[in-house]
Amino acid sequence: MITLRGLNINCEDRFWDSLGFEVADSEIYFLLSRADWGSDLLFRVLSGTDSSATGAILYDGRPARDWGKAPPAVFIDRVADVADFETEARLGDWIDFLCAGLGLDRVNLFKTLLVCNFHERYLKKKVRDLPRDVFHQVYLAACLAPEHKNIVINDFIRGAEKGFELKFNKLLLQKKALGRAILYLGSDIFYASEIADRVGFIKNGRLLFEADAADLKEMDIKDLYLKFLN
Amino acid sequence: MLAFLRFEWRRIFCVKKNLISLGFIFLFSTYFVLSGVDEYRQFLSEKKIFLRYEREKVSHVVNYSQYGGFGFRILFEAPALNLFFINSNILQDVESNIDTFEMIEVESSFKGNKLFLKRGYFKDFAGMPLIFGSLFMLYLGHVALISSAYLRFIAVNTSLLKYYVMTTISRFFWMDLFFIALSVGFFYLVGFWGIFFSRQEQSNYFFCLLFQILFLNFFYLLGQLITVLLRFRKIFFFWFFIVWFVCVFLLPEINRLSVFNQSQALESAEKVNLEKFRTLMALEKKFRDYLKENQSVPLDQIQKMQKKFAVQYINSTYLVNTSLESRYLRTVEKVIADHERQAILFPTTFYQFMTGEMSGKGYYGYLDFMDYIMQVRNRFIQFYLKKRYEENNAKVESFVKGDENVFHSHSRLPRTYWIGALVTLLYGIILFILTFRPLKRQVFQP
Repeated sequence: MITLRGLNINCEDRFWDSLGFEVADSEIYFLLSRADWGSDLLFRVLSGTDSSATGAILYDGRPARDWGKAPPAVFIDRVADVADFETEARLGDWIDFLCAGLGLDRVNLFKTLLVCNFHERYLKKKVRDLPRDVFHQVYLAACLAPEHKNIVINDFIRGAEKGFELKFNKLLLQKKALGRAILYLGSDIFYASEIADRVGFIKNGRLLFEADAADLKEMDIKDLYLKFLN
Repeated sequence: MLAFLRFEWRRIFCVKKNLISLGFIFLFSTYFVLSGVDEYRQFLSEKKIFLRYEREKVSHVVNYSQYGGFGFRILFEAPALNLFFINSNILQDVESNIDTFEMIEVESSFKGNKLFLKRGYFKDFAGMPLIFGSLFMLYLGHVALISSAYLRFIAVNTSLLKYYVMTTISRFFWMDLFFIALSVGFFYLVGFWGIFFSRQEQSNYFFCLLFQILFLNFFYLLGQLITVLLRFRKIFFFWFFIVWFVCVFLLPEINRLSVFNQSQALESAEKVNLEKFRTLMALEKKFRDYLKENQSVPLDQIQKMQKKFAVQYINSTYLVNTSLESRYLRTVEKVIADHERQAILFPTTFYQFMTGEMSGKGYYGYLDFMDYIMQVRNRFIQFYLKKRYEENNAKVESFVKGDENVFHSHSRLPRTYWIGALVTLLYGIILFILTFRPLKRQVFQP
């Protein structure tokens, strides 16, 4: 369970004001915000890499700092470019390193890859030579390798091909079925209505409106978009 | 740690361009070691001819007056270790003539194949780490941390500091191992050509290797820092080349120019020669005046006077001239000491200074050579005067009984070696710390 209470973030001239909501176990909560910086900033605060926030962030009822060295959730950030991960090593070697060096669970990692129909021939290729979607699969598998009850995702699916999006959705639903609390930060209202259980609309740094996905389908999405995201 | 070591091994040694670069370094090192061995062996065979020539020359000298005029040459013999530093030296293939004239000259021959021998630059085994090693380490430092996006991904699962430290240590381990294996391998390999090193040379070589490792690690850390300061931008290669050029070529050149400017304050060597010449001429004038005044004096009386003047020469003029030469040498030594102190300030300048001294043909090798020349000259003058005035017409006996006409130079570490090594280590630590601060900022607050 992920809980945000009275979260204020003030970073340079950008801010989030009194943000508060709760993501229950076995729920996908989609926080819709038009501005990229907004979801990036919130993602950094949630993952603990930015400490400019005040208010409470609780993971399973415990503040993030109480989790010690273990991360309080799985954090999946948006991937900009395959070239950013050019390790000059083969993918197989990189995965070996992630498992042996960083302690990622190899079984979990390969389970995720299997769900994505990953082909083992890619293990011999270098990361820079991987097709974009395959790289996304590996990245996702590495992020999801640690077993965790909470998952925070920052607009991961943006720009991905439909095929990968479907695989990703399948994975999210699997995780949801396993009782994970999933918070998705994004800007795509159509994707939100497709995947989420609940959607929160952010405008000018404030959470203005929350709706169940079931209700969302009955609403005029175009109207919502113009009202909250334009 | 093992996982990091394994991963970095693959990142370094399983990448084609790295292998090409390392192969290139290996091939060039092999070539320079072979050419060093070849030059050393050529020197030994030329030394034999030199010694034979000097022996035969004496046998053709008619009397001691002639012997004093011709004198004999002293050959500068560098230690065997010089084969690794054949182009890092300050002195060329030099020799000096010991005779009764006042001038002490250190000469280099450009006759025959020596005309085509172009010393300097980096064309020896020690030049490989300086030029290609530093460039390669700078590059490895550049690619080590990959990108801020990658580090952000890593930082979710492990501490950034741990990753930074472990990656750096692993890369140091493999690259240092490569350069150590290369240097140690060649050091023992030359034994196959019958070249062996003394204990002192061995220990000097390993201390030199230690500094080389510190020096290369410095470049690795510099590469990391530049990449982070330029926020992993692709424009990097331009800066990368500029920094390398400044470190490897510009700073040593500035250091060299600085020592040259300092040396301008030295009195001209010609002026010293002139001063010595005048002192000698003053004595000769006295003798000529004596001859003019006493034209009717019998020959044996003149010879007695000549001997008296010779004793006077040894006791006054010669001592004055020797002290002039010694004083001049000590002022040169001061300039060298200043140069050594300046060289400590930066790893490349100190590396160049150190390799010069390691070759045995560095600045201190020169000072030793000059001291040796003056010692031998002193003994020769006494030998000459004794023989000249006591048995001038007897068969000329050579002054050189053993190998006095060969100066055996020693390979040495600079006296400031430990200071130089500590300064380089300090630079490394500073670079390591300086890199981490902006890196953390970039990863956590993009």
